[in-house]
Amino acid sequence: MATPILATKLFAPPPRANAVARQRLIARMDDGVRSRRKLTLISAPAGFGKTTLLSQWIAATRRREPEVRVAWLSLDASDNDPARFLSYLAAALHSADAAFGSDDAKGPLTVEATLTALVNDVARSPHNVILVLDDFQLIEEASIREAVVFLLERLPSTMHLAIATRSDPLLPLPRLRARDQLTELRAADLRFTAEEATAFLNSVMGLSLTPDDVAALETRTEGWVAGLQLAALSMRERTDVAGFITAFAGSHRFVIDYLVEEVLQRTPPPVREFLNQTAVLDRLSGPLCDAVTGQTGSAEMLESLERGNLFVVPLDDRREWYRYHHLFADVLRSRLLADGPRRMAALHGLASQWYANNGFAEEAVEHALAAPDFAGAARLIEASISGIRKSRRDATLLTWLALLPRDIIRRRPVLGVFSAWSSLVAGDIDAVEPQLAEAQRMLSLVAADGTPAHDSEPSDELRNLPVTIALYRAAVALGRGDLADVQRRAQQAMDLTAPDDHLGRGAAAGLLGLASWARGDIEAGIRAFEQSGASLRLAGNLTDALSTTMVMADMLTPLGRLREIHRAYDAALHEAIEECRGGEPTADLHAGISEVFLQRNELGRALEHLAASEALSERASSHEHRYRWFVAMAGVRRAEGDLDAAVELLAGAEQHYRRGFFPEVRPIGGMRARVLIEQGRLTDAQAWMSEQGLSDTDELTYLREFGHMTLARALIAHHRADPASGALPRAIGLLARLLDAAEAGGRVGSAGEILVLQAVALELQDQTHLALAPLERALDLAEPEGYVRLFLDEGAPMLRLLRAAAGAGIRPAYVRQLSQALRQTEGSGAAGLPVTSALSERELHVVRLLATEMTGPEIARALSVSLNTMRTHTQHIYAKLDVTSRRAAVRRAEAAGLI
Amino acid sequence: MNAQRHDVPLVAAGYEIRLMGQLDHRWSDWLEGLTVTHEGDGTTTLSGPVADQAALHGLLRRIGDMGVTLISVNVSHEDHV
Repeated sequence: MATPILATKLFAPPPRANAVARQRLIARMDDGVRSRRKLTLISAPAGFGKTTLLSQWIAATRRREPEVRVAWLSLDASDNDPARFLSYLAAALHSADAAFGSDDAKGPLTVEATLTALVNDVARSPHNVILVLDDFQLIEEASIREAVVFLLERLPSTMHLAIATRSDPLLPLPRLRARDQLTELRAADLRFTAEEATAFLNSVMGLSLTPDDVAALETRTEGWVAGLQLAALSMRERTDVAGFITAFAGSHRFVIDYLVEEVLQRTPPPVREFLNQTAVLDRLSGPLCDAVTGQTGSAEMLESLERGNLFVVPLDDRREWYRYHHLFADVLRSRLLADGPRRMAALHGLASQWYANNGFAEEAVEHALAAPDFAGAARLIEASISGIRKSRRDATLLTWLALLPRDIIRRRPVLGVFSAWSSLVAGDIDAVEPQLAEAQRMLSLVAADGTPAHDSEPSDELRNLPVTIALYRAAVALGRGDLADVQRRAQQAMDLTAPDDHLGRGAAAGLLGLASWARGDIEAGIRAFEQSGASLRLAGNLTDALSTTMVMADMLTPLGRLREIHRAYDAALHEAIEECRGGEPTADLHAGISEVFLQRNELGRALEHLAASEALSERASSHEHRYRWFVAMAGVRRAEGDLDAAVELLAGAEQHYRRGFFPEVRPIGGMRARVLIEQGRLTDAQAWMSEQGLSDTDELTYLREFGHMTLARALIAHHRADPASGALPRAIGLLARLLDAAEAGGRVGSAGEILVLQAVALELQDQTHLALAPLERALDLAEPEGYVRLFLDEGAPMLRLLRAAAGAGIRPAYVRQLSQALRQTEGSGAAGLPVTSALSERELHVVRLLATEMTGPEIARALSVSLNTMRTHTQHIYAKLDVTSRRAAVRRAEAAGLI
Repeated sequence: MNAQRHDVPLVAAGYEIRLMGQLDHRWSDWLEGLTVTHEGDGTTTLSGPVADQAALHGLLRRIGDMGVTLISVNVSHEDHV
């Protein structure tokens, strides 16, 4: 967006050719940069020459060091929108060096991510970089101040920040002072000294004043640069200079009042009129001033004002845009206001019109609001809604909306619905529906002549408004937890969408999917989210389209479709890396796919993806999904046996978790409780379950399935700690009911885990033969999908179960793989011992049976061989394994990975 | 902190703001309609109702932007709104 206005904000004004050289101040600033201080702060009221000093210093630095990169940003009040501030900051750095801020990811980035990327760009550069923020007093938005603090904390050593402001910024100045990281120039430093005043008045302005005259002016103005400048202008071409000085020095009038009066009196009436009429403008250009004054020749007027030192400051090097010196503009405006508000309003109106006609929507709105012409402002705001929302600058829109009278918003349903949205995001749910209802009523009203009764102009926004209203109603229903209503409203929205309203269709499908999912109809949820992703993609919103992958994975997990999850993440990740260049949602997808590798027990690959996610997350992680990284990392640590780290990471996950509209099917507290159970901290784990009100007699629902499975684990652990507690039968009863519920809901993945727990519970009752039935079913379900951790997580009891399964010849390859992995995890220590010579297939079979509790004759019978033949096999096995007992043989075979 | 204890009103109240130098009366509209009074010692008093703390801060910022030196800000007890 290379509008001239943007360029004017990034323009480092060149120093005036005939300005007083402020060598003593420049030397202090140079010293600050040389000493590697981070910040130069120029803090003084208006008219102390802050901007002039900065531009002199920049020019001097450039002369000494031509390669220095200078990024200059002149702030104004509308930069209090964080998104706008950041984009200007990036543009300023980019204009200083094309290598800065060039790698802009397509996805939206967080403030910190954007700043980190910029800082990294600067750190890579061989050049010194100076960033100037002028008029910083206009920044009131706390998040922007925080952004500057963040920037200061991470400032590369080659970068220096210079801030000019009228009031001290809320930055950690005491800390910077204490660490000698701050160079400060304040009003007392900036005042003209007697020598500087003499140089200015006599050399620059060409007045030949006596030292006494200079001293009198110096005293009267207290060295205030603006005062001395105005005084000099008043004295030019004046014959009685001494008389002027005596009168000025003897007056008590406020310096500016006195001098502006003097200057204006000596200004030709057409110029004076021009100044009055254009005082309302923050920026001046020839065409704009022509429009506001109704005259021609404004461009020449502006140039002559600049030549005549009449307080205009050029904002570019093409003599296209100027601004008045702030102080001078304030004086002119206060005089205009004193003449009555109508004239000012009319001038603002003309300015607004010119800006609107020339494609500057925001400036047009600002002037309409300043007039104030609320009806005109409302029309302009409505027209700019879609453009501004696309650039995610909602803060600007919300500020405007707050200034408009309710009745004007009411007459424009497009604004009314936007206002409802602002209530929705502010969490003021109750305020949403009345505004939507009013907008809907206005939409339906028709005037006597058949035209609409409302004031909203025809637009895409207006055409799709019924869809938007239905969507916001669905969102309100979601906020209230009324799923049936969500479903109804979202379906209504879907039915109302035009075929090409992809954004509306995407949003409606997403809400339908959420409602289905939360009601336990996972298949319908998946179909809806597939549709939502496809529509979002058609709407050009790839970031949100790819972000549906995380939701899909959450829904596919209870269905046990690990391969499908893997495929979905894989495809989305490739696309994110290609199309979003690592921006959002790449980091989240890396974290997501790591959970697939964790399930497959490929911890190395899981860690690789988690590292990739972490590397990107500063610049490209949405707050919504950030907690997933912590969950996934906790899973890896748990698999590695570092349970304390897992608990700590889950606490981190909890901190990053934002309670959104997605059902909490895998609550972080539940995951934490499971790790606590493994640690034997049953009381701590029980605390979470009590808090959730979980009991083994509850009615079972999908949404609480994870909690109830956790409860079953707790009961099993309880039995282990106290076999007389009677917990085991309760666990077994609960698991049987859970299995029924999971099967009824088609949740194959949940069923797999429940079956594993049933096997573990039965094994605890010394009913290993009974345990094999659920274990076999679990293995049948899990093998095609490649689940590994599902079994490994159960530890030693699972090893015994797998040994039995091996003996029974159940899924031999899979069981062998699982046993091997489990032994490695359990760290049996003897892994890798050499086996003297390979066992035959028959001998392998015998070894597996030896690992069971079967007796020798039973094994012989199972193999349909005589006891003697069996013994021969056994002797060979002992020899090959270099052991002398059955137990040693089994241990050795296990260590060698044969079982 | 409550308003009564510190005698600082949180709602509309009359204020007296003293400034260095004599300000032209026509600044009145610019300064939210406060009355501009010139004192004998070359200072100016702005007086009148100010809506609330936010309005007061905005007013002080305007004064700062004019480059005027601020001497004091007082709640005026005679002039309640």
